[in-house]
Amino acid sequence: MSVQYMPVIWNRNKIVYDAVLLIAVALYLYVYIRVGPAFEDVTRPIDGAILRMRAFGSCAFLMLTVILCIGPLARLDRRFLPLLYNRRHFGVMTAVIAAVHANYVLGWYFNFSPTDQYVALLSSNTNYGQILGFPFEAFGIAALLILLVLAATSHDFWLSFLGAPIWKALHMFIYAAYACVVLHVALGALQGPGDPIFTALVAASVVLVSGLHFVTGRMEAKRDRGEQTAQASLQEQGWVIAGDLDEIDDTCAKVVTLSDDERVAIFKYDGKLSAITNACAHQNGPLGEGKVLWGCITCPWHGYQYNLADGRAPAPFTEKISTYRLKLVGSTILLDPNALPPGTHVNPIEFGGDS
Amino acid sequence: MSWRQTKDAPFFVGYLNAVPKPLVTFLAVFSLCFAGGLGLAALALSSTQNDPGNGGFQWGNRFEHVGLLELRPYPVLRVPADGDTPARTYMLAGQGKRGVFEQAEANKGSPVSLRGVPVNRGDLTMIQVGGVEAAEARFEGGFPSDAVPLGRWKLTGEICDGKCYAGAMRPGRGLAHKACANLCLTGGIPPVFVSSGDVKGRNFFLMADSDGKLLGDELKPLLALYIEVEGDVEQLDDLMVFKADLSTARVLK
Ligand code: HEM
Ligand code: FES
Repeated sequence: MSVQYMPVIWNRNKIVYDAVLLIAVALYLYVYIRVGPAFEDVTRPIDGAILRMRAFGSCAFLMLTVILCIGPLARLDRRFLPLLYNRRHFGVMTAVIAAVHANYVLGWYFNFSPTDQYVALLSSNTNYGQILGFPFEAFGIAALLILLVLAATSHDFWLSFLGAPIWKALHMFIYAAYACVVLHVALGALQGPGDPIFTALVAASVVLVSGLHFVTGRMEAKRDRGEQTAQASLQEQGWVIAGDLDEIDDTCAKVVTLSDDERVAIFKYDGKLSAITNACAHQNGPLGEGKVLWGCITCPWHGYQYNLADGRAPAPFTEKISTYRLKLVGSTILLDPNALPPGTHVNPIEFGGDS
Repeated sequence: MSWRQTKDAPFFVGYLNAVPKPLVTFLAVFSLCFAGGLGLAALALSSTQNDPGNGGFQWGNRFEHVGLLELRPYPVLRVPADGDTPARTYMLAGQGKRGVFEQAEANKGSPVSLRGVPVNRGDLTMIQVGGVEAAEARFEGGFPSDAVPLGRWKLTGEICDGKCYAGAMRPGRGLAHKACANLCLTGGIPPVFVSSGDVKGRNFFLMADSDGKLLGDELKPLLALYIEVEGDVEQLDDLMVFKADLSTARVLK
């Protein structure tokens, strides 16, 4: 909904978000590098460069874990939604921290030799045929490249330049990056002398990330099954029974699932009903989980807005989404499952009363 | 069952500065848990680093001795006995990840004065060579002595690069260090075998192949792993040389 792309449009929420993030990351690095070593039980301390490399590497890993948990958490409990709002800054910061980690590795393990650092990184260990002693750095490189590409294309400019489907598909590679990082540590650090705490942390991360995704996946599937009544109840003339007027709170919506990738949000406001697609034109956010603010549907993810009657973003913005026709019989809402072209005006159904 | 938005539920819109009260509390608690959790994780991970041993550069203890440079098959400096101190043999490395083959070839067989910094861990000393100059010296009393064969041994342990393991990097061993060690060996740093059992009280060995020649790429797949390997051990003054027969090597874990 921006006509013009600013580098970042700041507001208080984003500043607070980034401040919390920076403080947490700074705290992690400070404790790891400065405080932790005082409690070490070692004959001599490990080298500073190695300590810093481990601090930044593990920090990036934990940040990636949290990033991947935000999505499913926000589905399980709406109160996590604000964490989603500025998640891109989280991602960019993770990429930066991971790059610092890689830089320490290059400047220490692959330095001080007649061979160029980058050549050394790629050529020192090429035992790709063995598991013990596998060049685990390769997975780190792959993960870092993905993180850097995602960070570079995180801005809305790229979203509109590439189009939502390609951009979304591209950003799904975050899961590949996570898998690479897990392999990176599983074949590297975890193969070293036993370190039960790091091992436990990595295992907990994998269980948490995959567990949360599994649970929310099941939940969504169940919700869709509940909605199959709507699909099954195709009436003559092709109208679908979408539910009862009383089911919907004022300024809120009910979501009807027509098929796997088609959901319709029916909004109730000012004694009227309007139906639009559930997918936000921005990043496919679930519009039906939003609310009507100032007479506009407002997306719960980043707050993009649309007029109720025609699915068009208020001027000067130009996003358009599909609308649907509705009919009211008694208190039963009927929906025409054929989407109208994005931005088509449909007169709202008036049911009188402002309940 | 389907989830639905309700009129009373707090609704967050990112670009509005006002955040609903219940959300503020929730997010404040979350922020504290997030930062606190990261802090605790950092403390747990950082304070339980494995002991890298006591190796390190001996900057305060510069090395300067007159002796003979030999290739065994890696460059070593042999220093004659001096009063009560018996003859000694030192492994040599260059600055950074470099060996000292050139200097050793150039000065083979003639006395040199060698300056450098010792890198030391227990019995293992490697000299980081600073300078080599021809020296006026006469050696007597059967110096240098021949290597004393100590028979065939099966040893278990890890092949490390001698400089990092001696303490140039801490920890300079283990799988995470494998690529770095490869690079060191490619650069000409002598490989050492760090054994879990000892031979005559010593548990590290300068490595050679079974004919006493230089090791090459055949070392790479075995480096930094816990292995078992057979070979002949011989003693050069106070240094053990392990002529490993890599065809008998077996990865244990
Ligand atoms: C060019 C890319 C990378 C290279 C060359 C690289 C290299 C390494 C190396 C050599 C180690 C072993 C360090 C040691 O224990 O001594 C390591 C450990 C690690 N790396 Fe990377 N890495 C890269 C990218 C990444 C990325 C993108 C992440 C995470 C997002 C990551 C996370 C970690 C973690 C968590 C460890 C374990 C640290 C510990 O021992 O506590 N690395 N990496
Ligand atoms: S998905 Fe970003 S505002 Fe809707």
